[in-house]
Amino acid sequence: MSFIIKTSLKNIRRKPRRFVLLGMILLVMSVTLFGGAFVTVSLQNGLSAYQQRLGADIIVTPSSAQGHGTVDGILLQGISGNYYMSPSELEKLRSIEGIEAMSAQFYLTSAKASCCGSRVQIIGFDPETDFSILPWIKESIRTEIRNGDILIGADVSYPADGTILFYGKQYHVAGQLEKTGTGLDHAVYTNRSTIAEMAQNAAAGVMQTTLKNVNIGNAASAVLIKVKDGYDIQSVADDINIHVTKVNAVPSQNMVSSISEGLKGTSAVIGALIFGIWLLMVVVMGAVFAMLSNERKKEFAVLRVMGASRGMLFGIMCCESVVISTVGAVIGAGISAVLSVPVSEMLKESLSLPMVHPSGGSLALLCVGAVLLPMLSGLVTSLISAFLVTKNETGLLLREDG
Amino acid sequence: MKLMAAGIRRDFFRSGKNTNIFTAVQNTDFTLLEGCMTVIVGRSGSGKTTFIQMLSGLLTPTEGKVTADNTDLYLLSDKERSAFRNRHIGIIPQGQTGLQRFTVLENVLLPAEMYGKADDKKDKALQLLEAVEIGALADVYAGELSGGELRRMAIVRAMIHEPQILIADEPTGDLDAETTAFVMKLLKAHAENGGSVLIVTHDKDVMAYADELYRMEKGVLVRS
Repeated sequence: MSFIIKTSLKNIRRKPRRFVLLGMILLVMSVTLFGGAFVTVSLQNGLSAYQQRLGADIIVTPSSAQGHGTVDGILLQGISGNYYMSPSELEKLRSIEGIEAMSAQFYLTSAKASCCGSRVQIIGFDPETDFSILPWIKESIRTEIRNGDILIGADVSYPADGTILFYGKQYHVAGQLEKTGTGLDHAVYTNRSTIAEMAQNAAAGVMQTTLKNVNIGNAASAVLIKVKDGYDIQSVADDINIHVTKVNAVPSQNMVSSISEGLKGTSAVIGALIFGIWLLMVVVMGAVFAMLSNERKKEFAVLRVMGASRGMLFGIMCCESVVISTVGAVIGAGISAVLSVPVSEMLKESLSLPMVHPSGGSLALLCVGAVLLPMLSGLVTSLISAFLVTKNETGLLLREDG
Repeated sequence: MKLMAAGIRRDFFRSGKNTNIFTAVQNTDFTLLEGCMTVIVGRSGSGKTTFIQMLSGLLTPTEGKVTADNTDLYLLSDKERSAFRNRHIGIIPQGQTGLQRFTVLENVLLPAEMYGKADDKKDKALQLLEAVEIGALADVYAGELSGGELRRMAIVRAMIHEPQILIADEPTGDLDAETTAFVMKLLKAHAENGGSVLIVTHDKDVMAYADELYRMEKGVLVRS
């Protein structure tokens, strides 16, 4: 083992307290970098999963939906909503030019009362016309949805007997869908006839008032529209808003854009926070290294007297820094990796933003980054301190020491 | 090995109310003789330490040159000069210079370890430690030694490579009379074996051991 490595390890082993603070700084740096990057990547994954799942060019909701759990609120954040448009408005929609496909969805919120096993948003779709949920089901669980069956989002829990109670009746869970990181994960999916049955039972009980004037068999909460090639999405949405009363048509891109803008803002804040903390840690680390170097002036001078070159002193300081940085950063990355999932789940709840955790490969890359960057920061800071200490001649170092 | 200084001078900048240049050592010529103990005496602040630091390659002279067998020390790169010092010049600095978290033996072997020769020198180190009567302390941390023991350890450390030149700065500064005599006999023995020994001190008792005696006064070196 070379003199540099041997001496560095002896220094660390025999004066551990000197290096604990540095290790702690690097640990915090690593946790910050990993945590920040984890949340940012999760947000980006969440948005792209949301865009993928939406599948529609325009989303039409009744005007009464404004402020009562809009479609993006339901789909993205899992906010509950019960609002309906009449069959006549659906008919008017069909007459709008430029529509290639449209599929109506019926939303029903399960109650907290004893009638229901779980408080969720139930989304009823028409398998004949659907182009948004079915592809997801096919990718996810490859199953048909029959009358009386329900499919549940990734975050919905269900009892061991494989059924959930909704408005007094047990429904069979036919499958659980893949995680999207959006409100879709908190919803239950079923076909139109099953949700109609649920709504009839609800109307007879706790939701009597809400569903009093709703034509359950033919009403819709939202209509997802695909626009024909060659038609401008915004123009078709404008046409709908002009010609169909009591509805609100929004191009889904606008919806995604506004979410995307929001996410960009959140990511920028996280990025700035990471940078700020990193910078602060580098400054603190620099101060600690400078302090330690100052304290070790005599030691360095004695080594120089014995014949150590400047390069050797640089080597000792760098080696110590690399060992401490690696230990601190690896522990930090390990702690982050363990805590990142529960913490990001808490963030997801509090921020109401779509989040999908990074895959194994991305996670490994994050870990490598969370170790390498603090290590490099430690190395550069220690090199600067080493330069500042060794720039003076040994004679002057001995003189300073008194 | 002949160590020579030709017209060396060292200035220091002193900042303060009246910023000026302070000359610690005036233009000086000097030759360190082989097989001889040379002692430089002088009051504190007279320039003795600056002078020997220049001679040992630790402080660049403002003017003049230092040569060892025709090699100009200050024309060598830092790496070359450090290796040269390690191999040919043993230095006993002023004050206590033991690395406290290293044992006595590790301290003594450090100069050899720097250039990968520690294994060859271990027996020699133990012999030298025995010779200076601290062999039993080989595995004790330097931080636990007394002043006299530390000084003996520093002497052994400086001698581990059997350097031709030994330079000591106030080697008896904080030692009692008995230990002073012991240390001086060690250094004298090195000179008698053909080495060159240079001691700077303000301890008048050391003068008795000198083969060559100089006096440093206000940066001027005068032969006594």
